[in-house]
Amino acid sequence: MRSIKHFFEQSWLLIVASFFFGLLIAVTNAALSARITWNATAKLNTLASGLLPEAKNFTPLDETIDIVAWGGKPQALQLYRATDNGQTVGWIFTAIGSGFADKIELVVAVNGNFESLAGFDILASNETPGFGDRIKEDGFRNQFKGAPAGELVISSSGDPGTVVTISGATVSSTAVVETLSHYLTQVKEQMQQKGLVDNDNES
Amino acid sequence: MTTNPDGQASNYTKTLLAGLWRENPVFRLLLGMCPTLAVTAAVKPALTMGLCVVFVLICSNIMVSLMRNLLKPHLRILMFTLTIATFVTIADLFLKAFLPAMSEKLGPYVPLIIVNCIIIARAEACASKNPILMSIIDALGMGVGFTLTLCILAGVRELIGTGKLFEIQVMPNAFVPWAALTMPVGAFLTLGFLLAFVNLISKKHS
Repeated sequence: MRSIKHFFEQSWLLIVASFFFGLLIAVTNAALSARITWNATAKLNTLASGLLPEAKNFTPLDETIDIVAWGGKPQALQLYRATDNGQTVGWIFTAIGSGFADKIELVVAVNGNFESLAGFDILASNETPGFGDRIKEDGFRNQFKGAPAGELVISSSGDPGTVVTISGATVSSTAVVETLSHYLTQVKEQMQQKGLVDNDNES
Repeated sequence: MTTNPDGQASNYTKTLLAGLWRENPVFRLLLGMCPTLAVTAAVKPALTMGLCVVFVLICSNIMVSLMRNLLKPHLRILMFTLTIATFVTIADLFLKAFLPAMSEKLGPYVPLIIVNCIIIARAEACASKNPILMSIIDALGMGVGFTLTLCILAGVRELIGTGKLFEIQVMPNAFVPWAALTMPVGAFLTLGFLLAFVNLISKKHS
């Protein structure tokens, strides 16, 4: 009994402060989260427009796609249909992978029949400035334009159809390639099952 | 007991000015080197970082000063960190909401303010021993001193490294930018030269 009293005597300020500061953060987060989400959506639209310049509209599909996220947890992925005058010109989705410092969030653009990558861009990353954050550079990203929408192959020689990782940012660039492969294969399979794109065997 | 209002005012002025020169956190105490080197490639991010530090310093100094008589010696660092982490999180959320591009540019360096030695040093050296007004003035002096230092460093790097200031071209077209100054090596070089310059001035003064 005495030890419990001693514990509270010593730590009551820490307990009260934790609740107070927690509340302060919760209130700030509640007040700003809508704006932060709006900023993220605006950024997604801007990046998607850059990756698929021919698209006029990006419409979220009514039904989400069930995949296994990086790390093994199930994820309901939101897919966006990119259209130009009602014609599907591409597909957009976000992919989250595990980088060197933190999660890497990507915007991925695939062409209308889900056969090749139109490209990707970085939605959020905390990779080391000057090293890991070189995954944002055009030189690295441009390699993915036109790559098959499926399992991507890493090579050191830069053979056609393969991707070269960045020296000095190997972990981050490999994480991007693995994340893309992980998502592309699953999304493609799910889309074929749902009849959103043609099956490989039929085309 | 009576207090001398002139003496009190002089104390406040002395505390405010200490952060600007005599105890400047970067040039004299060499504290907070991580953001000093990392976000000073241009003036805008340096100014934003400086203002975030001012906000966190003032808020954490106020809170620490308010609870200074309740602090248990062995739990004080934990309390300081908890307080600082709260206000850094709030600053980070504000940046994400109102300056998303800048928040992205500063990346992990805003959350890293939590471990910035300047803030914990002021909580320990000033706020935990002084009333609120003195703690606010100390935070203001140190914060403004830190912001000015960051802006001077960033100004030199951006001007020589790109020929611009606040992303506006100020150098003539004939000027060839020394791009190395915008890279990490440029941060160390510029800081070294500025520290040497500050030491030279203070030696002459003394």
